[in-house]
Amino acid sequence: MQSTKTVRSILAFCLIFFTASSSSFAAPKQIILPPETAKLPKSELAGYQLATQKCMICHSVDYIFYQPPGMNQAQWTAEVAKMKHSYGAALSETDIKSIGAYLAVVYGTAEITDSEVLAASAISLAKADSKPQTQELLTSNGCMGCHAIDKKMLGPSFKDIAAKYKQELQAQNMLVTSMQKGGVGKWGEIPMPPMANLNAEQAKRLAAFILEQ
Amino acid sequence: MTDNEHKQMHSRRRFIRNAGTLALAAPLIAHAAQGTGEGVTFAGGERPLVRFPKKRKLILVHSRPPHLETPFSIFNEGVITANDAFYVRYHLANLPTSIDLADYRLNIRGAVKKPLSLSLDELKSIVEQVEVVAVNQCSGNSRGYSSPRVFGAQLSHGAMGNARWMGVPLKAVLEKVGVLSDAKQVVFNGLDKPVQPTTPDFHKSLDIEHALSPEPLLAWGMNGEDLPFLNGYPLKLIVPGYFGTYWVKHLSDIVVLDHVYKGHDAYFMNKAYRIPDNDCMCVAPGTQADKTRPISTLPVRSFITSVMAGGQMPVNRRVELKGIAFDSGEGLKSVDVSIDGGRTWRAAKLSASLGRFSFQEWKLDISFKQIGRTALMVRASNRAGEIQPLKADWNPGGYRRHAVETTPVTII
Repeated sequence: MQSTKTVRSILAFCLIFFTASSSSFAAPKQIILPPETAKLPKSELAGYQLATQKCMICHSVDYIFYQPPGMNQAQWTAEVAKMKHSYGAALSETDIKSIGAYLAVVYGTAEITDSEVLAASAISLAKADSKPQTQELLTSNGCMGCHAIDKKMLGPSFKDIAAKYKQELQAQNMLVTSMQKGGVGKWGEIPMPPMANLNAEQAKRLAAFILEQ
Repeated sequence: MTDNEHKQMHSRRRFIRNAGTLALAAPLIAHAAQGTGEGVTFAGGERPLVRFPKKRKLILVHSRPPHLETPFSIFNEGVITANDAFYVRYHLANLPTSIDLADYRLNIRGAVKKPLSLSLDELKSIVEQVEVVAVNQCSGNSRGYSSPRVFGAQLSHGAMGNARWMGVPLKAVLEKVGVLSDAKQVVFNGLDKPVQPTTPDFHKSLDIEHALSPEPLLAWGMNGEDLPFLNGYPLKLIVPGYFGTYWVKHLSDIVVLDHVYKGHDAYFMNKAYRIPDNDCMCVAPGTQADKTRPISTLPVRSFITSVMAGGQMPVNRRVELKGIAFDSGEGLKSVDVSIDGGRTWRAAKLSASLGRFSFQEWKLDISFKQIGRTALMVRASNRAGEIQPLKADWNPGGYRRHAVETTPVTII
């Protein structure tokens, strides 16, 4: 009986000891968030690719699904403008008009044939056809919001990406795919949205630039 | 178990018993005819129920950053909202997913005599621990019912919850560091960060008088457990009587200022979460406010929880209607219920209170005399003379909804 008692008190002591000091010895508390699956509805409008690429930098697009129905193009455009002016999204004025038009068509009162929709969407199509410099591509696509040349920000630095993939034969193609399709898991849990607005030539040029770092 | 908890258990059992007697005429207490939107409509269809870490299935508002709403039926489970059912709301998607208490520190600095950097254990032992039961309600709770509609999270009534918070008074910690006499405000920051550096961080500020009042708490405990990760583990600012926007999660920095907080990261004080600066805190629907001020205390509100919109109830039989009411801590004065769309009102009975910042249960025995559709309504008033308006007012942010809500039901 005596020994049982002793064992009990040792156990009790251990229990108290572990409870009292649990916070200092405990393993880090971790969570795994469910995978992000929300995707915007496809459209021929230029705003579709822009929205997929730029909205998804900061938030999932279900944010957009569950807004009120029945908003018009001016209202949607003002809401997209707020993302730039209040939240610092890397959006040009033409991006704002184009994304506003697209969202008003898929979620609001606008029709794809409205002259205002076509006008707002044409502007950025015309722009996408021009040949921007590498630096301009980096800025206008919001790359520099998450990446820097030589330090880790939200995403890996260009130097780290270069160091990791430089030796691989298909490095440039791999980076092109990552840019165009987006990805998650290679560098952390925050996903990189697809830069669907980049054409193949632009993506190749950016990949070459990154690998030179 | 406290007396109050005993009473809650008891009343829950009684509710279950009542529900049992009614089960003969099943499905009398039918589920709501509406889905997770509870009458709110959305641009892209119904919101799904989803499972996030340490949470039961909650309504998806958006997935990154996480934003989850509590299904309204959960508020009928008791006045305390379970940790795994409590709503979740983040603003910034660069949020922590791993926190090690060995590294975690709460830093208190600025206009103070002796800055401190405390581990959670050090904070826990700095002064005597206290508890408060308090409602955390999102500023935009019920925004989905704004008319005309406004952009923002289209919440039904589930962006609120009531919990027993355990921590130490903010005041005690500020006294330890010694606030300088010219202090004006205190700024709070948590471990969540913006994705892009151009996006403002989520900082909130309180006036120094409020920060030094007995109410605000630095809490690590929620309903007897550690805070759930998604509700701000390991430490959360609790501001009883104030909207949830001030209840900073993953709290890591407290900075005392000798001026009113301004600048890029003051966005969530100086640009967002603002209401019209007038008596009604409202403007004509669809218009802008000339002057605004930060949102602050909770208006008096009440809800029916024992039956959901679209539900059915029996005719000529005693039915217990039940619900919750709360305000900013002034104290509830009355809760009145109408079963005829607001034509006549009768006083409901308030159950024992868990404290002035808590949900308080109300009950009313009633017998419906007529079959057909009717509208149930509940209206609360408080000791400061506030009474819920019958018609909702409007503001551009869709904040602070507090009008009498109507629950349409069918008597069969």
